[in-house]
Amino acid sequence: MQAAQRGRRPAPLTNGTRTIHQIEIISRRYLDIPLEFLLENILNLIGFLVGLGIGIMSLVGYKNTGSPTLFRLTVAFFSISAGFFVVWAGYTAEDLFLHAGDIEGWVQTLGIGIQTIGYFFIAFSHSIKSFFPKSAHFRAIIPLPLLLTSSVQLEHIFRSVSFIFLAYGAIETMLSYFENRNRGAASVAAGLGLLALGEFLGWYSFVFPESLLYPASMACRIGGLIALFIPVSRVPLTRVRFDR
Amino acid sequence: MAAYRTHMKIIGEILETTQEDLQDGNGASVTYLIRKANISHSRISGILSTLVSQGLLEQTAGGGANKYKISQSGREFLRAYYAFTRFADSFGLSI
Repeated sequence: MQAAQRGRRPAPLTNGTRTIHQIEIISRRYLDIPLEFLLENILNLIGFLVGLGIGIMSLVGYKNTGSPTLFRLTVAFFSISAGFFVVWAGYTAEDLFLHAGDIEGWVQTLGIGIQTIGYFFIAFSHSIKSFFPKSAHFRAIIPLPLLLTSSVQLEHIFRSVSFIFLAYGAIETMLSYFENRNRGAASVAAGLGLLALGEFLGWYSFVFPESLLYPASMACRIGGLIALFIPVSRVPLTRVRFDR
Repeated sequence: MAAYRTHMKIIGEILETTQEDLQDGNGASVTYLIRKANISHSRISGILSTLVSQGLLEQTAGGGANKYKISQSGREFLRAYYAFTRFADSFGLSI
């Protein structure tokens, strides 16, 4: 400070080698394990909020119009929101209060299971629209569970089933975009596609647990949730009231 | 192959038709609604009585035939219908 005031350049604090070493320490201490933990928390909070936001909007729509499609979307997004909340609350409770050490796996499985119910309802809404047995797109991906559910663990099954539902929803939404050229549909299709990719990478990270696959999976899912919310945020909800 | 209209979409089209500027200020006749909404007489009768009982349409008797006008609740419903049609469209669905 005094050197700067006198117009002299302050001496460098470290030489080059020491700076690189410090960066390694910082990245190990703050960016390796905490990065995953931070991303996990961000993902779960964004998932909870986005799911809740879209769920509330669908509920308002259902209350105003009585549309069964909006009811299915309400159930879907409240389930997705609840699933993310369960994982976030479970991890937070474990880290701050419980310290049991063996509940994280079950919390993750339960949360992903609840999210899978939500993804099922999104896919179900599309399957009703295009009549399930005649849908060539759904039939095209039916064999995938046989390839994906190689493990007996519930989490693997939920992740692979979620992937199927999300991929199906993304394909159907993209087809809808090609028909109507609605930009919102393109954004939702991209969001569902990113969520599907995230689920796939999350499932595949069991094979390479120390790799970047799991953080990449979380980044994909965060991007997917944001893409889902973009068109929904443009709906002029302020002009719509609940029925009395 | 043309897609089937949902029940909600048919209701939306009937309300839209009754909201349009009509030559007759008393409202739209059943024949006019059938032609504009492209729906059979047997089906539209049930839908109209439901909409009247829900307060979305007002029934008036003019010229020996029942006529239908959109009510204030009907206008609010139609606004919600437009907003949530866009919302469902974003998901590639129709309400």
